[in-house]
Amino acid sequence: MPVDPAQLAALESGAGFADRSDRGRLLMTGADALDLLNRLTTQKLEELPPGRAASTVLTNGDARVIDHLRLAAVEGGFWLLAGAGRAQDVADWIDLYTFAEDALAEDRSAATAQLTVAGPAAADALAGAGLPAPAPDAAAGSRSAVVVASPFGAGTAYDVVLPAGDAGAAREALLRAGAVEADADAFEARRIAQGVPAYGAEFGAFNNPLEARLLGSISDDKGCYTGQEVIARLQTYRKVQRLLMSFASDAPAAPGDALLDADGAPAGVVTSACAAGGRTIGLALVASRHAVAGAALHVAGGGDASLAHPPHALATEPVEA
Amino acid sequence: MTTAQQPLTITITPNGADHVRSFMQAEGVDGGVLRVAVKGGGCSGLTYVLDIAHETKDDDKIITQNGVTLAVDKKSYVFLAGTELDYSGGLNGKGFVFNNPNAKKACGCGTSFSV
Repeated sequence: MPVDPAQLAALESGAGFADRSDRGRLLMTGADALDLLNRLTTQKLEELPPGRAASTVLTNGDARVIDHLRLAAVEGGFWLLAGAGRAQDVADWIDLYTFAEDALAEDRSAATAQLTVAGPAAADALAGAGLPAPAPDAAAGSRSAVVVASPFGAGTAYDVVLPAGDAGAAREALLRAGAVEADADAFEARRIAQGVPAYGAEFGAFNNPLEARLLGSISDDKGCYTGQEVIARLQTYRKVQRLLMSFASDAPAAPGDALLDADGAPAGVVTSACAAGGRTIGLALVASRHAVAGAALHVAGGGDASLAHPPHALATEPVEA
Repeated sequence: MTTAQQPLTITITPNGADHVRSFMQAEGVDGGVLRVAVKGGGCSGLTYVLDIAHETKDDDKIITQNGVTLAVDKKSYVFLAGTELDYSGGLNGKGFVFNNPNAKKACGCGTSFSV
């Protein structure tokens, strides 16, 4: 289905919002909740006072991704924003590793809705709708509802989590404030353009978070966490096999399509793609030696694909000295 | 062909028990128990926990061997059944060592494992 240009334009250069209630939302409570998350995930989470937000990756012992989580601290708990349909798996994983701790991760996906507001005027739209627009890496709310600011490509997106019954009123308020409602296709096109990786496409049980360019969610000085030894080894010996790259092509491409080098050898695989402005834009996991901005690969059965670093990675990855 | 059955309990070697008693003595604990547990975390996902406790809890599995009482919570027991707790001393020793037949993988420093 073609992307609605007005919806995409709002997400790019104004304020747009999409209902992303299909995503997972958990509320984690208990005196030991943060300590447990610190032990199980990649980010240093020794302190996360109410009002702060952070991104972290839940990994297994082989450093494969269970999910990439956005955490928002509120009084008496933490919201965990997970991938689409991922809440129960995340809750089960945390429960498996909860022993004597006072910690409970509860799937709140069915009871809540999630509207994501993006675009350079997103904060103004939220204010116009009577909703808070927290600073980057901040959150405003409670255990009932929260607004979380998150990196979204080169900019910031705001996830509005609220009781499911209140979503209609929030939607109306955002429309009155001038925000444009975007459908899933338009939001997906914007996600791809910004290079924001998604569960199941760019990361999951099939790879590690370094391949998906989630370095900004990984602490390199926090000590042990599940998967840390593998991640440290991959970084130290530069053994990351693939890297997420953006690409643009004049030819159609679809997830699963192979990217070939000049000799016709496999060099990567398309993970997400959509039509935009008469071209195809997409994301691909590319063999590290080919993951060079400006390099050209060939879409199997199609045309050339020009590579670029994903804007999201450029904005969130630490810069090497 | 017959294979040796792993005992579905947790055992402590005489050497391990001696060192538990020494630690209790050093801590001034009389009649204490050794709490043996697992917690989430560590490179491989699960980390061993040892603690000297003054009392047991209602749902603990209690094991007394070589003069030492071990207390293990039920969930930890699932991951520890069959484990032999030993002590490796000396300059190159590792301290308390968990010989856990459930552990399929351990991290480099040996403090965490996965099943």
